Amino acid sequence: MIKHDVVVIGGGLAGMRAAVEAAERGADVAIVSKMHPVRSHSGAAQGGINAALGNTAEDTPANHAFDTAKGSDYLGDQDAIEAMCDDAPRQIIWLEHRGCIFSRLPDGRLAQRPFGGAGSPRTCYSADVTGLVILHTLWEQLERFNVKVYEEYFCTALCTEDSVGAGVVAYNMRNGQLELITAKATIFATGGCGRMYAKTTNGYASTADGLGIAFRGGVPIMDMEFVQFHPTSLKENGVLLSEAARGEGAHLLNSLGERFMFKYAPEKGELASRDVVSRAGWTEIMQGRGVDGCVLLDLRHLGREKILERLPQIRELALDATGKDAIDTPIPILPGMHYTMGGIETDKFGATRIPGIYAAGEAACVSVHGANRLGGNSLLETIVFGARAAKHACEYIKESGDVRPSERTLKAEQERIDGWLSKNEGIRAPQLRSQMNKTMSENVFIFRNEKELTKAVDDLLEIRKAFDRDVYVMDKSKTFNTDLVHAMEVDFLIDAAMCVANGALARKESRGAQARTDYPERDDEKWMVHTLAWRQDGQNPRLDYSRKVTITKWAPTVRSY
Amino acid sequence: MAQIKLDIFRYDEAVDAVPHRDTVEVDVPVTTTVLDALETAKAEVDGSISFRRSCRSAICGSCSMNINGVTGLACKTPCKSVMNDQGVIQIDPMPNFQPMKDLVVHMDPFWDKYTRLKPYLQPADRDEDHETERRVSPADMKKLVDAANCVMCATCYALCPVVSVDPSFAGPAAIAYAYRFIEDVRDGKKKERLAQINEDYLWLCAHCYACSYCPKHVDPHDRIVDVKRATIQEGVMMNHPGPRHALVVNKTIKNTGMLAETEVILGTVGRFNFRGLLKIGPQGLRMAIKGKMPPPFLKPIPKADEVRTIFESLEVPT
Repeated sequence: MIKHDVVVIGGGLAGMRAAVEAAERGADVAIVSKMHPVRSHSGAAQGGINAALGNTAEDTPANHAFDTAKGSDYLGDQDAIEAMCDDAPRQIIWLEHRGCIFSRLPDGRLAQRPFGGAGSPRTCYSADVTGLVILHTLWEQLERFNVKVYEEYFCTALCTEDSVGAGVVAYNMRNGQLELITAKATIFATGGCGRMYAKTTNGYASTADGLGIAFRGGVPIMDMEFVQFHPTSLKENGVLLSEAARGEGAHLLNSLGERFMFKYAPEKGELASRDVVSRAGWTEIMQGRGVDGCVLLDLRHLGREKILERLPQIRELALDATGKDAIDTPIPILPGMHYTMGGIETDKFGATRIPGIYAAGEAACVSVHGANRLGGNSLLETIVFGARAAKHACEYIKESGDVRPSERTLKAEQERIDGWLSKNEGIRAPQLRSQMNKTMSENVFIFRNEKELTKAVDDLLEIRKAFDRDVYVMDKSKTFNTDLVHAMEVDFLIDAAMCVANGALARKESRGAQARTDYPERDDEKWMVHTLAWRQDGQNPRLDYSRKVTITKWAPTVRSY
Repeated sequence: MAQIKLDIFRYDEAVDAVPHRDTVEVDVPVTTTVLDALETAKAEVDGSISFRRSCRSAICGSCSMNINGVTGLACKTPCKSVMNDQGVIQIDPMPNFQPMKDLVVHMDPFWDKYTRLKPYLQPADRDEDHETERRVSPADMKKLVDAANCVMCATCYALCPVVSVDPSFAGPAAIAYAYRFIEDVRDGKKKERLAQINEDYLWLCAHCYACSYCPKHVDPHDRIVDVKRATIQEGVMMNHPGPRHALVVNKTIKNTGMLAETEVILGTVGRFNFRGLLKIGPQGLRMAIKGKMPPPFLKPIPKADEVRTIFESLEVPT
């Protein structure tokens, strides 16, 4: 049996940062990940990571916190936001001293670029591969501390004993064995759940795993209705073209060749927050000023040299997908599902309501992003809260006693899997995934209304029931059975999608990424509360609004850019 | 939409003695990537087809495989660029790796090559609690950027003929990663790293340029040359055959305009390395008997001084 003091589920930025922090503190820590850590989707983050270093213009952590609170449409918890923004410079320096390859100013300090919704240029970057270089730096630290990685182990369930976290069950993809992993503290850092939508900037592996596991383990999921649609994703395949493009000065054009953003955000234009830009782009397309169902991202005036130096990856991604070279042609783009503001509910230390269970990164909802995340804050969140969750987990394990998970969960998981493997007919998970993708994309998109959301809720409940009743796995092999792993992923995704649709239907207001055409105003009287979703077997989640938003310095006011 | 026929290598290490092939037909636009065609085949036709994938935008490095005999990222390869007139695409696992299931291979030997390098910054000053960043000029940082774009997809490792005959060779990807630290002004272990990578058979590289095909333009071959150059500039391992060979080849061509083979052999093995010379003695004898022994001294070609001028203009000051 595998046993460690701290087990981190997921090997992306949040997971590795947590593991390195625990290792530096001398804890016995291991990572359980369905992929090798450098394959994680954090590596696809392009634009940068925010910290008020003030290297190119006056800046303070307080300014950063204000921008973040405003960006969140005042749904973010301001104590957590302040903690994150205060810690940001220290964390960037931490990365730099461990060899992270950041772009530099002529005097050798870290370069910073402007980003959406930010009052000054505070986004540190490495060309347009910032996620990749940080991912590599953290993986290097795993190598340095010799942290054990259970690679290609798919975590399937949480074990609790007497309402205390005791470990997890994981499926070893290489030999098909389910294993019990004992841990005094478990940190979920499993990333987002973009794959509930048809078109997403997320990779195939962003499938709500930790979210689904924690949800089933009795942890509430928070604020899932707030789904970020990134304004600039490729029509062909949903792949992201970084906000760094607009940060470096790219324009958004409609079919009339007009820079339409100033109609919607007179001050910031293209650098308004993402929810604003996505709604604007979609409105242009809906009102007939699109080009083949897209608007255009125009980089031409930046010039070849700047594009090749600062945005080489997105130029190549666009070239590969569309055949168009951004150096001399505007690229057709449209809003696409990008980020889950919601997630596993945690406090500002990354702890959930179950002792010994933590969450960090996109899988978690602290909440620092509230109703809309600012670009450059997601990488920051992974680093800050990965470290914080590990720090608190390390303190927790000093006082918690030994844990002994019973074989109960292991047996239940074995039965769940064997049930799918023993059947030879029914519905395959990919079919249900397509149905879920369809209803989410059609009914829970940028602009929402009661009729469509009700349709989504009903569809998803049917899909949930069909999954529980009829799903089967075609591949019976014990070796690298990804057909089985995908079925487990879809299982978790359906739960997450139900939280999104139910939360969106119940929240009768428009705030940040939730835009209700039937309730177009923000309602601070009623809705300065978080949405908590609790799982109910085979039913819609139970919603609860007992958690109020924490305000420290900035009372909600009119939000304009 | 087009009918694309994926001719796929099928194998399960737990049950199959030998692999077989399956042809799976999918209806997808020809602009679809090979990865998405595989994904469609798995979702709609045969759930047991196995391959690794994650980001589908050429940044995670998961989906490297052989497509019509050439290794590359399936997510960066449109079907129309590789299908034949009948719409067939042949898909195999990466070579130089042991297959696990279908297109999934055992990657551990590849990762071990990195671990051996101590792939993390080792600054001269180990104190890590700093108030500010280290100052690094944009030019010094830029040197690392090409190597930093590596996504560890192992395409170059799969394409490397030296790895196929000598698995102890570090391989292009790991050497390119070593270069990233060797050239990092923040790192304090340049000489130790160079010594280590020399021990890891740096000089086995045959300069065949197979690894110049890199989906991320890291150009591992050029990085290997950079590491060799740094080895000589730093004077590391100079009593080893690798650096000696490079220097003596350089010297004879610079002086005579030709490769002076006898001198190169003596220079590589070592003029006073009697044991080494004894070892190659019999071969020399056989060459002499067959009349293939090159002359011990070469007369420089006409205008050898022009060759020397070219060399001097290219020499990097050390």
